Amino acid sequence: MPRSATALSDLARLGFADLRASRDRLDELIDREPLVESYVAAISRSADPDQALVRLGRLIERAPDETRVFLGAETLPSPTRADERPGDRLMLVLGASEGLADFLVRRPASLRALLSKVWTVPHQDDYERDLLSAVGDLTGDAARTAVRVAYRECLVSLTAFDLTLYDPVAGLDVVASALADLAGAALEAALDVARREVAFPADEVAQTRLAILAMGKTGARELNYISDVDVVFVAEGTDGLESARAVEIATRLAIHTTRTLSDLAPEEPLWEVDANLRPEGKNGALVRTLSSHLAYYERWAKGWEFQALLKARPIAGDRELGSEYVEKLAPLVWSIASTENFVESTQRMRERVTAHIPSAEVDQQLKLGPGGLRDIEFTIQLLQLVHGQNDPSIRQRSTLGALGALAAEGYVGRAEAAEFNRDYRELRLLEHRIQLSRMRRTHLMPTDEEALRVLARATGLATSAAGLVEHWHAIKRRVRSLHERLFYRPLLSAVARRPDADLALTTTSAIARLQAIGFRDPKGALGHIAAMSAGVSRRASIQRHLLPAMMQWFAEGTDPDLGLLAFRRLSDGLGESYWFLRMLRDSSGAAKRLTTVLSSSRFAGDLLERIPEAASWLEDDADLHPRALPTLLDEAMATVARHDTSLQAATVLRTARRREILRLALGAIVGVITVEQLGKGLSDIMSAAISGALALARRDDRLRHGGDDLEFAVIALGRYGGEELGFGSDADVLYVFRSDPGTPSAQQRAAQIVADLKRFTDDPLVPLDLDADLRPEGKNGPVARSLDSYAAYYARWALTWEAQALLRARSVAGDDDLRVAFEALADTVRYPQSLSEQDVREVKRLKARVESERLPKGADPTRHLKLGRGSLSDVEWFVQLIQLQHAGSVEALRTTSTLRALQAAVDTGFVAETDAERLREAWLIASRARSAVMLWTSRTSDLLPSDRRQLEAVARLLEYPAGSASDLEEDYLAVTRRSRQVFEAGFYGIEKSPRPTS
Amino acid sequence: MDKQTDFVLRTIEERGIKFIRLWFTDVIGTLKSVAIAPAEVEGAFAEGVGIDGSAIEGLTRSFEADVLVHPDPTTFQILPWRGTEDPTARMFCDIATPDGAPGVSDPRNVLKRTLARAGDRGFTFYTHPEVEFYLLKSSKIGPEGPVPVDTAGYFDNVPGGTAHDFRRRSVRMLEDLGISVEFSHHEAGPGQNEIDLRYADALTMADNIMTFRTVVKEVAIEQGVYATFMPKPLQGHPGSGMHTHLSLFEGDANAFYEAGAEYQLSKIGRQFIAGLLKHAPEITAVTNQFVNSYKRLWGGDEAPSFVTWGHNNRSALVRVPLYKPNKGQSSRVEYRAIDSAANPYLAFSLLLAAGLKGIEEGYELPAEAEDNVWSLTDAERRALGYNQLPASLDHALSLMEDSELVAETLGEHVFNYVLKNKRQEWKDYRAQVTPFELRSNLEML
Repeated sequence: MPRSATALSDLARLGFADLRASRDRLDELIDREPLVESYVAAISRSADPDQALVRLGRLIERAPDETRVFLGAETLPSPTRADERPGDRLMLVLGASEGLADFLVRRPASLRALLSKVWTVPHQDDYERDLLSAVGDLTGDAARTAVRVAYRECLVSLTAFDLTLYDPVAGLDVVASALADLAGAALEAALDVARREVAFPADEVAQTRLAILAMGKTGARELNYISDVDVVFVAEGTDGLESARAVEIATRLAIHTTRTLSDLAPEEPLWEVDANLRPEGKNGALVRTLSSHLAYYERWAKGWEFQALLKARPIAGDRELGSEYVEKLAPLVWSIASTENFVESTQRMRERVTAHIPSAEVDQQLKLGPGGLRDIEFTIQLLQLVHGQNDPSIRQRSTLGALGALAAEGYVGRAEAAEFNRDYRELRLLEHRIQLSRMRRTHLMPTDEEALRVLARATGLATSAAGLVEHWHAIKRRVRSLHERLFYRPLLSAVARRPDADLALTTTSAIARLQAIGFRDPKGALGHIAAMSAGVSRRASIQRHLLPAMMQWFAEGTDPDLGLLAFRRLSDGLGESYWFLRMLRDSSGAAKRLTTVLSSSRFAGDLLERIPEAASWLEDDADLHPRALPTLLDEAMATVARHDTSLQAATVLRTARRREILRLALGAIVGVITVEQLGKGLSDIMSAAISGALALARRDDRLRHGGDDLEFAVIALGRYGGEELGFGSDADVLYVFRSDPGTPSAQQRAAQIVADLKRFTDDPLVPLDLDADLRPEGKNGPVARSLDSYAAYYARWALTWEAQALLRARSVAGDDDLRVAFEALADTVRYPQSLSEQDVREVKRLKARVESERLPKGADPTRHLKLGRGSLSDVEWFVQLIQLQHAGSVEALRTTSTLRALQAAVDTGFVAETDAERLREAWLIASRARSAVMLWTSRTSDLLPSDRRQLEAVARLLEYPAGSASDLEEDYLAVTRRSRQVFEAGFYGIEKSPRPTS
Repeated sequence: MDKQTDFVLRTIEERGIKFIRLWFTDVIGTLKSVAIAPAEVEGAFAEGVGIDGSAIEGLTRSFEADVLVHPDPTTFQILPWRGTEDPTARMFCDIATPDGAPGVSDPRNVLKRTLARAGDRGFTFYTHPEVEFYLLKSSKIGPEGPVPVDTAGYFDNVPGGTAHDFRRRSVRMLEDLGISVEFSHHEAGPGQNEIDLRYADALTMADNIMTFRTVVKEVAIEQGVYATFMPKPLQGHPGSGMHTHLSLFEGDANAFYEAGAEYQLSKIGRQFIAGLLKHAPEITAVTNQFVNSYKRLWGGDEAPSFVTWGHNNRSALVRVPLYKPNKGQSSRVEYRAIDSAANPYLAFSLLLAAGLKGIEEGYELPAEAEDNVWSLTDAERRALGYNQLPASLDHALSLMEDSELVAETLGEHVFNYVLKNKRQEWKDYRAQVTPFELRSNLEML
């Protein structure tokens, strides 16, 4: 090629990126070393041609003569690839690895490693021979340098092999195992040096048996280019050498071995020898006898330590001793999975690892991020541990070997196994090429365009940076679904009448798998799976598709058994209408939410069984928000108008109410609505139900009596009045009517309306209890009164507690004029211009009495959500006393809502913000806990559960992470204690006793 | 840890130990013990030993009965007083709920949690208590009250006296149990003795104090006398305190020491003292937990009734001892209110928490008290801004009840339990009609 005639476009076509600079450099190099000209094609085949050129320049600069001889070397005659010269290999290495280029520049003599073509990778024995002969009988720095240089020469040769592979994805496991073998050879050579170096009598050193066991990736023979090498040392004495002495000598040997590879010396260290997987980790003895290892694992080791042993393999030193170690420990490894909580603790461990990735790196992580290598390794190890106990054939060390064995034995699907085999290899290839580039231990994908382009060329997985990223994302997506596809899908096959041809998961294995992930009744669970997935119906086929993912989510839920059972009932109830399943299939968000709902709430599960179509709301947050009151009222009134018979209409109203309550339950469980929205929403539903039923009762009344001469209204009190209802709360109400003085039997008619109202709202499934006990004269008084009668009563008899009850009076249904009139009447009672000292005392005394009398016998006041220490009623009374005292003059305080009144009291200066915050917190946590108890158990209870499992369920509904039962308890007790302090000081005005005298 | 378990199992084998006592402490500070056979020890390490905790003061929530005790192998010791016939050893235990969570009401766990919090800030906490107690002829109460074994005084050497033999024997036994004794001498009251334990990290020391009390009681029985840690057994004689020297270390360096500063006391040291002073009143219900404690606290002499600090001021609540040149590592402060009947786990937790709070919030240390605080008038003390410790258990409880610091440190369960239990004690006390009232009122009224 004529000088400077190289067209830039030619270079571009050849894969150069920095065209001008590379052209100049090429010209200059050819100028210095004409042989270079024949290598342009080879350079252009390398991963990074521009850099290959730069590095070649450095090599020529440093060692012009050696390089010339090397570049001139002809290929030895070979039957197949006669065209590949040593120099061609060099160019590939230079283009792929800055680290190895540095090494060759540093030690040009090592170019010899590339002289001959490697057709098959050497065995560990071959590597050992090379390294041992390089070291000879050297010691100290000379020995260190010799081992390392020999190692790196082998590495250069192996790299050239890797880079010339036609299909590096297919060859990945070969290269990875050769890397592990090379590491083993390095350990063997270093141990040889150590035996000469240690200052012990030679005969004693000879009597010391030391075995080096490889763990982790080295043990599995799937090592990276650069990685810590995990090892464990075992020693014994022979020929009468005491084991204590042998351990002492072996410890020195181990330390010397490590240093030979990792301490500073003229040639750079190779890698860290990491012995921290040994018993007791960093604090334990570096070397132990076999029996000491055994004793440790038998007695003290934790689950994950056994997991590490899965990979143990004798790699250097005394192989016989090493094999004995593996043999003796194997039974322990394979029984560990049967221990309780094993899978859970393993999963926790993994979550901790994931949580420790810096968030900036998550998206670049090849290894630890979502869809990374660790996901594949973890799932495969988990499957091995669950099933390996009974099936030795899947006890493989390497990830790919294990995956193959799992597929061969039918524990996972063959097609999936093949798919993930390829994904694993490709991820590892990416990792290999990234590490090779700088010879650094990293698992991060590069971010800049140029590095990605080079990586694409190096791996051959794509032709451009964008293409590579796209390819990688596709792998990640697939791997993310891996756990589900490998772990859960085969469960279906286990129960199928005609199992997949390539899956042979036995019932026993399936039960083991379900038990491992937290099903308490795995047999029952398997039965549900069988029932749902059996058959050829469209429904069964969708179920088969859905179940694996849902099983995984159920397993993560509060009560997996409950969830699965509820799901079965739900889908059985739907019979052949499979729209619901199709919706779940098409919307994974809805399906996941459904599992959360079903495994954490009996209340919602029971309702869903009646109203299955509600599941579709889970798709869209908007459907989980409360519907506005006018909408609810319109629906109720339309229902009333549509149906002529009241009982029929009442049935429809009842259904509507259940449906809306379910909507709120779903919203609360998946965390779409707050407890305040919930209170308002439930109150609105109540009002709509009452309004509908009242309209029916009035209609019947008119039919009976004719004429429209009776006005009637329902007034809400208590938490209903304050729009603070929870699931399962009673509704406190008053009934008022008004009629012309001459209207006959108005009182009886009103009473009949009340009776009808109760009848029409009655619902055995989701009880609606209208409680009128707060009416004047309580249970002894008439159930409904005329407005005049109320006025007369309040004018004459009103007690402070009645004024207090009226603070929350809010008209919710009935004739508008009467509603307004009643509220006006209530205002005169509840907002007095002043409250006498005696009245204040009366309120306080009543509260004190309620505290001691209303609390159920034996109930722990610190756990009572309603009447307990610092909980709901403390906060309400605190606020109500301020309202009674000041709302007469301060209009801002006139609200039925506890929290709004509290805020108003802060704004108007009656309560300090810090105090209000403590009260608010207590009110919120108690309200949320009460609703959560109802959702979980489907029964009302005013006690914070004390049973750990119940408490855990409540904690999950309060959005605590799994395992937080004690945290919730501690939080609840602390929050209510503080609220009680505020309450006692502000409500009772308790002052601390004065200082004593000295 | 695991080496230690090996050591324990081996020693049990080698020394022919017949029983292993598992020790733990209830919320009030009473030592509890469960004996197991050697064959059960391994299982106890692995899984703990289940006991019915509902019978033990404050140990469980009212609704759970069973707890697990997990022996801590680093506390393994052979008990010297059991002789060689049935060699017995003991280990302290941590308490856990059946689901494996640490027992919420385990005082040892409270201290561990507090130490871990200090550890998060890089501190380790050391204590060095001076434990006072009385030797009585017996536990029988004579017409003049309890009868002490001698009538000697401070540092008196009593020839042929029981107290001397007693101390020698106790110190010997303590050292056999691996507890180093710094110092021991006769105290000011008749029959009153003091033994100072060499400083150790707070958890070890709390374990040591529990052991110490047992040793002293055992030796007393051996010698036919009776030992009591009651804070004020004899009216008119000094009470038994447990002045405790406290120090914080950051790694190997004493965090209270700063060369050249006033009293060589670092800023951290000053803030720590400020924390102790500010929170002293609210933690007193724990450091001085009995009705009787307040008779010592307000018994005059040099009792630390007032919240002050001083350099070598023996009437101050917190004393900064005389600094010994070139002993930077020994910088410490002495808290003088705590008495010998306190639950050391909870008391140390609160002292540490109070000091840490001072450091975290950067409290300013008030001026030093230079006079004997007792010799001042009430008005003078008010003028100088000296607060005082609670006057009675009742008063102390009402201060504790409002304390966020105490609640946070003890945890809600222990906090509630202590309040409940101690209120009951106060009620029972108040229900009495005392000889004092009868003597002074009966005839007069």
